Amino acid sequence: MGIATDPTPRGALAHPDVENYDEVNRDVLRALETPGKGWWALLGLMVAGIGVFFGAWGWQLYKGIGVSGLNSPVGWGVYITTFVFWVGIAHSGTLISAILFLFRAPWRQSIYRAAEAMTVFAVMTAGLFPLIHVGRLWHAYWLIPYPNSRFLWPNFKSPLVWDVFAITTYFTVSATFFYLGTIPDIAAARDRATGLRKKFYQVISLGWRGTDQQWHHFGKAYIFLAALAAPLVLSVHSVVSWDFAMTIVPGWHATIFAPYFVAGAIFSGVAMVITLVVPMRKIFGLEAYLTTKHFDAMAKLCLLTSLIVLYAYMSEFFLAWYSGEEIERTAFWNRAFGDYWWATWIMLTCNGLVPIMLWFKRIRHSIPAMFVISIFINIGMWFERYVIVVTSLHHEYEPFAWGIYRPSVTEMCILFGSFCWFGFWFLLFTRLLPPIAIQELKEVMPAPMRRPRTEAH
Amino acid sequence: MADNTGMSDGIKRRDFLKVVGVSGAGATLAGCSTGEVERLLPYVNAPDDITPGVSTWYTTVCDGCSAQCGMWVRTREGRAVKVEGNPNHPVSEGGLCSRGHATLQHLYNPDRFSGPMVREGDVLRQGTWEEVEALLAAQLGAANGVMFIGGRMGPSLDQLVDTFVTAIGGTRVNYDAVSDAPLREAARIAYGGSGLPRYDVENARLLLSFGNDFVETGSSPVAHNKGLARMSAADPAGSKGRFVFLGPRLSLTGQNADEWIPIRPGSEAAVALGMASAIADDPSAAGPYANVLQSYTPVTAAQASGISEDAIRELAERFSAEAPSLAMGPGVGAHHRNATAANLAVMILNHVAGNVGRTVYYDAQVSGASSSYADMEGAIAEMASGQVGVAMIHGANPAYSMPPAAGFAEAFAQVPYKVSFASAMDETSAMADLILPDRHFLEAWGDSAPRAGVMAIQQPVMQAVPHFESKQTGDVLLSVATQLGNDPGAATFFEYIQARHRAAHDPATGDFDTAWRQALRSGVAAQTAATGPQPELQVPDTALDFAVPLFDAPGDLTLLVHPSARFGGGEFSNSAWLQELPDPVSKIVWHSWLEMNPVTAEARGIREGDIVTVTSAHGSLDVPIWLYPGIREDAVALAMGGGHTGMGRYADGHGVNALTLLPSVSEQPSGGLVTIATSVTVTPTGERRRIATIAGSDDQHDRPIAPAVALADLGQDHEEDEHGELRELQGVGGFVPVPAEGGGAAAFPLEGARHGEYADAHEGPRWVMAFDLDKCTGCSACVTACQAENNVPWVGEEQVLMGRDMNWVRIERYYEHVDATQAGDLDIRFLPMICQHCGNAPCEPVCPVFATYHTPEGVNAQIYNRCVGTRYCANNCPYKVRVFNWYRYTDDIPEPLNWQWNPDVTVRDNGVMEKCSFCMQRIREAENRAALEEGRDVRDGEIIPACEQSCPAEAIVFGNIRDPNARVTQIISSERTYRALDELINTQPAVHYLKKVTFHDVASGEHE
Amino acid sequence: MATSSGLLASYEYLDSTVDAIEALRKAGFEQIKAYTPYPEAHIEAALGYDQSPIRVWTLVSALTGTATGFAFTVWTSVDWPLVVGGKPMVSIPAYVIIAFELTILFGAIGTVIGLFVLSRLPSIKPPVVYDPEFSSGRYGVYVEAESARLDEARKIMNDQEPVELREGEGEADA
Repeated sequence: MGIATDPTPRGALAHPDVENYDEVNRDVLRALETPGKGWWALLGLMVAGIGVFFGAWGWQLYKGIGVSGLNSPVGWGVYITTFVFWVGIAHSGTLISAILFLFRAPWRQSIYRAAEAMTVFAVMTAGLFPLIHVGRLWHAYWLIPYPNSRFLWPNFKSPLVWDVFAITTYFTVSATFFYLGTIPDIAAARDRATGLRKKFYQVISLGWRGTDQQWHHFGKAYIFLAALAAPLVLSVHSVVSWDFAMTIVPGWHATIFAPYFVAGAIFSGVAMVITLVVPMRKIFGLEAYLTTKHFDAMAKLCLLTSLIVLYAYMSEFFLAWYSGEEIERTAFWNRAFGDYWWATWIMLTCNGLVPIMLWFKRIRHSIPAMFVISIFINIGMWFERYVIVVTSLHHEYEPFAWGIYRPSVTEMCILFGSFCWFGFWFLLFTRLLPPIAIQELKEVMPAPMRRPRTEAH
Repeated sequence: MADNTGMSDGIKRRDFLKVVGVSGAGATLAGCSTGEVERLLPYVNAPDDITPGVSTWYTTVCDGCSAQCGMWVRTREGRAVKVEGNPNHPVSEGGLCSRGHATLQHLYNPDRFSGPMVREGDVLRQGTWEEVEALLAAQLGAANGVMFIGGRMGPSLDQLVDTFVTAIGGTRVNYDAVSDAPLREAARIAYGGSGLPRYDVENARLLLSFGNDFVETGSSPVAHNKGLARMSAADPAGSKGRFVFLGPRLSLTGQNADEWIPIRPGSEAAVALGMASAIADDPSAAGPYANVLQSYTPVTAAQASGISEDAIRELAERFSAEAPSLAMGPGVGAHHRNATAANLAVMILNHVAGNVGRTVYYDAQVSGASSSYADMEGAIAEMASGQVGVAMIHGANPAYSMPPAAGFAEAFAQVPYKVSFASAMDETSAMADLILPDRHFLEAWGDSAPRAGVMAIQQPVMQAVPHFESKQTGDVLLSVATQLGNDPGAATFFEYIQARHRAAHDPATGDFDTAWRQALRSGVAAQTAATGPQPELQVPDTALDFAVPLFDAPGDLTLLVHPSARFGGGEFSNSAWLQELPDPVSKIVWHSWLEMNPVTAEARGIREGDIVTVTSAHGSLDVPIWLYPGIREDAVALAMGGGHTGMGRYADGHGVNALTLLPSVSEQPSGGLVTIATSVTVTPTGERRRIATIAGSDDQHDRPIAPAVALADLGQDHEEDEHGELRELQGVGGFVPVPAEGGGAAAFPLEGARHGEYADAHEGPRWVMAFDLDKCTGCSACVTACQAENNVPWVGEEQVLMGRDMNWVRIERYYEHVDATQAGDLDIRFLPMICQHCGNAPCEPVCPVFATYHTPEGVNAQIYNRCVGTRYCANNCPYKVRVFNWYRYTDDIPEPLNWQWNPDVTVRDNGVMEKCSFCMQRIREAENRAALEEGRDVRDGEIIPACEQSCPAEAIVFGNIRDPNARVTQIISSERTYRALDELINTQPAVHYLKKVTFHDVASGEHE
Repeated sequence: MATSSGLLASYEYLDSTVDAIEALRKAGFEQIKAYTPYPEAHIEAALGYDQSPIRVWTLVSALTGTATGFAFTVWTSVDWPLVVGGKPMVSIPAYVIIAFELTILFGAIGTVIGLFVLSRLPSIKPPVVYDPEFSSGRYGVYVEAESARLDEARKIMNDQEPVELREGEGEADA
């Protein structure tokens, strides 16, 4: 009868410094209280950036896509680069959340909420770029499968249509997963909040009570969602990679692309999580919940994916040489030493060399170091996509048609603005939803017992 | 924007109806301002009335240059929308050059005068024709000393002007910046006749060009281009004419040569005479020039030209052995101080080799008035000294086309009353007191005698463009003459011309009206058999200096100024089409460039794109450098036609005027302008700019894009083994399996890869195209033809710099072997790259909205309305033939240029992809006509895309490959047939290329 | 059930909560409901839950997605046949991706719907018996019984020393 409680020494726990459940609620929900000046300042900056973003976009719509630096042969540039970048960022969220959940990774709880929020907002950002990119935005809806006046449906053989499906699915599922996991915590917030906030939480908590029956179905539903989300994570970036791999462009047409892109996505995603939670941890005083244990784990994940990515780079160069195919060889020689050599070397440095430092425990355990490295990785991963998109296109099969692409100011404004758009939503999130999963933290904390722990029933 | 072709803008309903009435039953009104009834006859049987949507064709004569090619003009709802070569015309035989196409843009040139202009102080005010004619009459009546400065003009106008000028006791001077004066003079000295020699390029087995750029400039570019293509095309017997170019710089003509002998500038005479002396057993073979021959040997030639004696000797031997041979003397691009002598020397060479009467003919008859720079120098003196009261300028723009050193502008300013007949503003008209804008030749009557025995009528093909109140100069002169009390014998210039031809008509050949009507139909009035016996060499009546001329110091580089392949001497510069047409040699658009050998540049630390100051004793210019291995290390070259200051929106401010650097020197004895006259120093300014070029890499990196085959390898079986299977399949479906390693071939053709499944159901046509690279001369006529036919917009220098040129045809130019230091083989490959209409088109499956797909007829269709603009297709096109509308470029096209738009072709919107459509509108038109009028299928040759129609080299053939007898099917059964990159990426293109045939072994261009 | 009413006890400790539930069930009380701040396996066990039917929802909807994916792509390709890139009109490999994505999408949506249906969410009814502490640190047990047996229940619950024990009037929300 009763419960066989395992006498776990506190040190082995995920959050040794957290005493009891009430403390969790208190600490986490404190983040939702009236924000300080810093937060408002940041939000202001983001709003300004969003202004730049839509200003530039509007200008482009008014003048034509020509205000970008794109040309023939380089029909894709900063926009697609940034699209892939954000889709990549979106990955670690669901990865950390779903996959680590299925594997019962003990360090997941305190970061996955932030990671999932990041995922949702990153997809929201990425989703804008195909729209920004097309020549006739006012017709972009033609990619959506609906019977148009002539009953012509989209071309399901086109990787771009796959993209439409993959991205929308990914957004829907991640958003659902994110929201579902938050409901019990919203209920917790509701129970402490007052006034208008209480009303707000009452509505979005959907009347959660935490009854045994609710928890029962909730748990199962959550597992299934995780089980569905896990393969989705892998599929989405594979599909994105096929936008390139399905073509015949030298430098794009490679079977390695899917795993290569997925690894890269996780790499950049985890880096972005680090970039985000470090300041969050400081600002909201969540040190007890985001311990070096977590950063260490994320660092190891970065290290692993960085090695996979580096391997992909190397094998690409090797295979280009090994194929003996002149066009392939030229393409990769040009990648390393051609007009865009600098982009390639930024990529290799940030994604290949810098992460080597993560081999050292001291660095993995130094939060500032991790923060800096994560930023390097973000830069490196943006350039990886730039290298793939631009250098492959500007020297293709037809030497006489080779060309050069120079990004325009408009493109840069939109790139910058996209970060603000993302930051805007993330800032709102930190104030409106519990940034750390309260109920799951409690799961990994030792339950309070009346009888002394040592005694077994 | 999309349908700017109706009566909506510009054309007034009244005019529209008038035009409709005009073509009624073939009896038509050319609405001249004088408005008499005249007869215009459409080429095809005229419909009872203009049916909107049905085009009416007229024949006329291209008045773009002295070649006077025959033209067909397609009109729709009374406006000319496309000009094409007239296959019946003996000179051009259906070909037409880029400049010919661009004359349409001069017709609709938005910078034309809106009407006659009268100067009041500093401003020009528009007057009425009655007023200005009265003014002119008054001025002429009062003036002491009238001078008429005329450019090139047809025989009738020429005569009218003569009678007019004589009647008022004036003097007449002819001036044409780009003239054949030295050649003409040499012909006169040597053979007495006053005509130009006529070359039979086609039948020469060995062709020598002593710096004669006959493909792009010269007396008859289209005809000579065609001749070269036919000569150098390898016939089934495996024989092929050889073309050797001697000159300091490879022009477009030079790039087509099999061998290049980079002789020093001005050493043509020495080389020609050296060869002649080597050929002739004894000098007396040169008749009256025996003494000349004595003083020249291959040795002296070698010294003068910097070429090894052996090379010259060997060339001489072949020249006499490979009969009939042909040598062409320095043309308009190589006029140095001894150009006449050089031409004469070449005539002697032809004489001793026995080519006269076989490949070169000296026709007695005058063809066109000879123009002389020397006369202009005289005229300038008179004007400067105030002996000229009224100066009239027609068809010439000396203020631009003479070296400033000549001081024309200053002298012209001295003239109290200056009259211009220019139809659009130019540098000279800007100074005029009275402007009587002439008609464009497509709106006016005229005639032409391009060469002995050929006479053609130039008839108006449409009403005068209503935006401009223009009047044909002939009519003006007639009415002014009448006002001056002289009886010109005709009321209108039309009557005048007809009267002349009636007089010349031989009643024995039937009644005149029938002949006249026939002439208008076919486009040719008279065509007498070429020539009788050839004249003998005559004793020279003037002293000639055959030595290498001196070039003005100071300077260490000889400046080669040559007419532009696009702008001629600059008269064509105000055309956006030509400005954006990549120069056939440099592939640069919109701006000028200085050609310099990479070796020279490196020695001076100059890089491509560096802006340098070119300084001669006579002037200096800042111009960017373009590195060109096809020019001698001791020379630099600059093309004419740039740097206009008052010609119009598309000419002004683009490039520099090369004449600025030239001295005002007339060649003796011909009196032609000397364009290769001075040395220059080249000093970097330290500034750089990007070159607006469409050329990516000049090296094809051993890719199977433009391969070649050595003449010796033709018909060898090893080719056969390799591609036998391909070729036998090529006859039937066009799309053939890629010979893959192992059992790969069994896996092909892929399901539906041949025509797409739905096409297997019915046996419709399969459209394919063939380009014979052995014929293609890279002249780029097809580019402009396509642009005109398909409403392809121009985008301007800025956009081209960004890599956004829109042309559907890209003439790729790859250097294989170019050596400017010694005589030897030359291998430069041209490849017209258009949409390949692949069977397995990589662009199709990636489009998310089916904006591009494969039609049952095998065409890779682009549906503009469906396009969303993802540009995915362009990325995945290995040939990079898809172009994108980054802006709504058509917004920038001013009235009435948009009148030229082809109503059968959509004007593309901002943000959509476009590309070659195989001229789908022509395919449909031909199919419909065949079906509706005769209820049959379309026959081979009925569908002729714009590029094929225009191609002077006859290198392009289009047709249905399912028809075993179709020309295209026959042609691509050749062993030279290949498809670009196909074996590499299995795109199965519908466009077939025939490999260039070289005399030397082919080193590269074949993919391992 | 007008005659019945309920008791709500809130406990500080997990084991006491579990013991209370087990005791109540032993005594034959059926209408027991537990509130926990997080999903607690021990309590579910004590209440004797077995597999949740939500798996059926997930499976069925996911398979529907797969079917839709293939049917839709194939039908549209045949409905207006347009050949692109010389590929077969019906290119299954390409359509697998669409089918896969729809599988996931439908599966996820089905799961959520299932959850909402089964756990009566969203419920707009105001909580009758509930304590905000349940979302923070306390465990709650609510039992319903006829008035007659109410005292018995109260005794069992008190044995486990609840922080608080109160009479829940009327019927508890599900």
